Amino acid sequence: MEQFKKKFLEEATELIANLEQALLSLDENPQDKSLHEEVFRIMHSLKGGSSMFGFDKIDAFTHELESIYDLVRNQKIELKRNILDITLESVDHIKILLESGDELSAENEKNHSNLLNKIYKITKSVSGDIITEKEEIEKHDDKNDNVIHNQLSDKPTYQISINPDENIFKNGTNPLYLIDELASLGHCKVFAKTNKIPEFDELKPELCYVSWEVFLSTDKSIDDINDVFIFVDDICEIEINKIDNSNLLEITAFTNEISNVVPDDGFSELDKIKELANNVKANEVKEEEAIKDQSSQDFYSQIKKNVISNIRVASDKLDDLMNLVSELITTQASLTLYAENNQNSELVTIAENIEKISRQLRDNTFEICLIPIDTMMVRFKRLVRDLSFELDKEIQFTAEGTETELDKTIIEGLTEPIMHIFRNSIDHGIESADERIKKGKPKQGTINFKAFHSGTNVYIQIKDNGRGLDAEKIREKAISRGFISPEANLSYQELINLVFLPGFSTASKVTEVSGRGVGLDVVVKKISDIRGEVEIESQLGVGTTITIKLPLTMSIIDGLLVEIDKTSFVIPLSSVDKCFEVKTETLNNNFNNRVKLDGSLIPYINLRKEFDINENCPDVQQVIRINYDNFNVGLSVDKVIGEYQAVLKPLGRLFKDLEIVSGATILGDGSIALVLDSGKIINTFDRETLERREAYYKGIKNIEDN
Amino acid sequence: MGKNIVIVDDSESIREVVEFTLTNAGNNVKVAVDGEDALKYFDGSKIDLVVTDLYMPKMNGIELIREIRKKEDYKFVPILFLSTESQQEKKIEAKEAGATGWIVKPFVPEKLLAAMNKVIR
Repeated sequence: MEQFKKKFLEEATELIANLEQALLSLDENPQDKSLHEEVFRIMHSLKGGSSMFGFDKIDAFTHELESIYDLVRNQKIELKRNILDITLESVDHIKILLESGDELSAENEKNHSNLLNKIYKITKSVSGDIITEKEEIEKHDDKNDNVIHNQLSDKPTYQISINPDENIFKNGTNPLYLIDELASLGHCKVFAKTNKIPEFDELKPELCYVSWEVFLSTDKSIDDINDVFIFVDDICEIEINKIDNSNLLEITAFTNEISNVVPDDGFSELDKIKELANNVKANEVKEEEAIKDQSSQDFYSQIKKNVISNIRVASDKLDDLMNLVSELITTQASLTLYAENNQNSELVTIAENIEKISRQLRDNTFEICLIPIDTMMVRFKRLVRDLSFELDKEIQFTAEGTETELDKTIIEGLTEPIMHIFRNSIDHGIESADERIKKGKPKQGTINFKAFHSGTNVYIQIKDNGRGLDAEKIREKAISRGFISPEANLSYQELINLVFLPGFSTASKVTEVSGRGVGLDVVVKKISDIRGEVEIESQLGVGTTITIKLPLTMSIIDGLLVEIDKTSFVIPLSSVDKCFEVKTETLNNNFNNRVKLDGSLIPYINLRKEFDINENCPDVQQVIRINYDNFNVGLSVDKVIGEYQAVLKPLGRLFKDLEIVSGATILGDGSIALVLDSGKIINTFDRETLERREAYYKGIKNIEDN
Repeated sequence: MGKNIVIVDDSESIREVVEFTLTNAGNNVKVAVDGEDALKYFDGSKIDLVVTDLYMPKMNGIELIREIRKKEDYKFVPILFLSTESQQEKKIEAKEAGATGWIVKPFVPEKLLAAMNKVIR
């Protein structure tokens, strides 16, 4: 049972998360009937599971909690905020119970009974309709069934008539099993009444035409006999009569005579049977009876593994898998290189196959490691709800794009910084209701969470309509802290970016909630740990938007391997648009670092210049057009080698300020290639200038066209 | 022996207990996570018994029972439902939908097998 118990614990944690989520949705739509059902269903599953696996406290507690939602879904009580509060509190309590293995400390014990009282108050408040749903949990009778009884004559004899409805088969019932089961209770004799069976032509095989009369001698009670018919009591007429206190079936005379008494077309009259019984008892002869032995099996003596559609895997195992895949890909690159150098066609084929397989393996592993952002949402919603309540602010929280998937390591690293951003928004961003009304804003503040894909990145935006950042205040503070000099002439954007500096905090007083001395600098640091970037936009009095840009995955990317002289570089393939051959002469004699590709002029970076490589310049160079956020930029290199799977390794702290390189990778021959960051390369061009130029050149083109 | 049994429950732990018990008793067991998922097994192949939970997110037990009974091949297949409810109304609803019997949670493996023995041999 232990192994299942562990599984239940995992499952219960998930159920609780779902429950929380459903409750929070209910908070927004208290009248949503499907949510009432959902909450009830989850509680019910939780109750069922906990009762199975011996979590009696959770079982009992959830039962009471569930009663509330039974009343809610039957519209006997209205779901009010206080009920939700108590429910959420109860959910937290169930979490504690789960963690402690259904045990309670003295303090929690008090909380337990407190909560139960609160729940009772709600359920009892329904006047005159106090819940009677208390489950009559059928306690399993552990009495040994296998006691051997020798005193057969003490077993009373019953006459049982079984008259099934002709539609009994439609429930999947086989009445013969009922008779088998009766027989297992003791000594029995069965008479089948077959008179109603029609001629073959008229016989419908799906109907039951037979009824039975059974004589049973058993030491089991009438209740036990009734239990045999528990599934069919609605579709089968059953009558059980006690004929005698002794085992008549042991008397040969009775069994011989009885067939004469039992009619073919109906049930025998009780009086007649009793009369016969009295007659034969005079000269009773005992017979031995075989004793039925129901051997109980040991169900847990052996374990058989079965495959099911979903399996749970510990996340560190996934990390291991990911690491192994990275190693495999690095090794595979060596193999490919070795095969090429040895001119052995067979080896080359094998190497190619391995490359193909390892690529698929890599993709699959990635997919396994992706989880939807949704998994974090419950915590956020709960935070917004609890905090807004605590600070007495009215906040509406909306979320979009939560189905967006991200690598699980990224999600793990993301929760805490995002929580911090939320805390900031709620505490400092959103004003109190009074203040908002004074400013002519809607009383309710809003916080919007939005996640979306763009290229190889996922963006997360957290937007509030609070008071926004006050650039003047920031400026004063920055000057007082010595971050900037009083003469510094900074733009609004430059000023608000100062909030990301370590040790910067604009809140005039430190509050319980967000001003714990941990500033936005920590958020930036945590997000850059997972190779993400943070941007802030704000408008005084209107609101603040914080945008987090994240890579889809952290470790392996598809890249284009290129060479400049003898140095290799990798450009992320997802941003590569097209490759062109351009004469070095053309590149050297250009205007404003622009090159004409496919008829349009685009800016380009001469990587030779960028990396200061001057030797062995070829006559013809390759220009790779990369596309990022709808901007095209060319990169000039000597040679394009081909596609390459790059296992990304960080460059280390010394290089962390390096703008256009995102990491390094080890090539098949053991040498190292730098991985270029296409996004950052484009950003080195001033975006506004790019746009202006774009418009300018379009203008020229239009004039030319005309 | 060796019955083909389909188990339907959204709770993995319960599913596994039932599966384990029935497999150990020598049966061929298939599992589904909800009613909708379970329907894939009713493709004409031989099924001797269905054990289903009542409360499930996608297609609850009662809907599933109705769906199964609509199929010509499975009109008479025994269906047991698992429920923590010993309430009469839920049982009646399930019985009317065409269930053969039920098992009340919590149950020990013996009880499950006993209920199973009531409807198949």
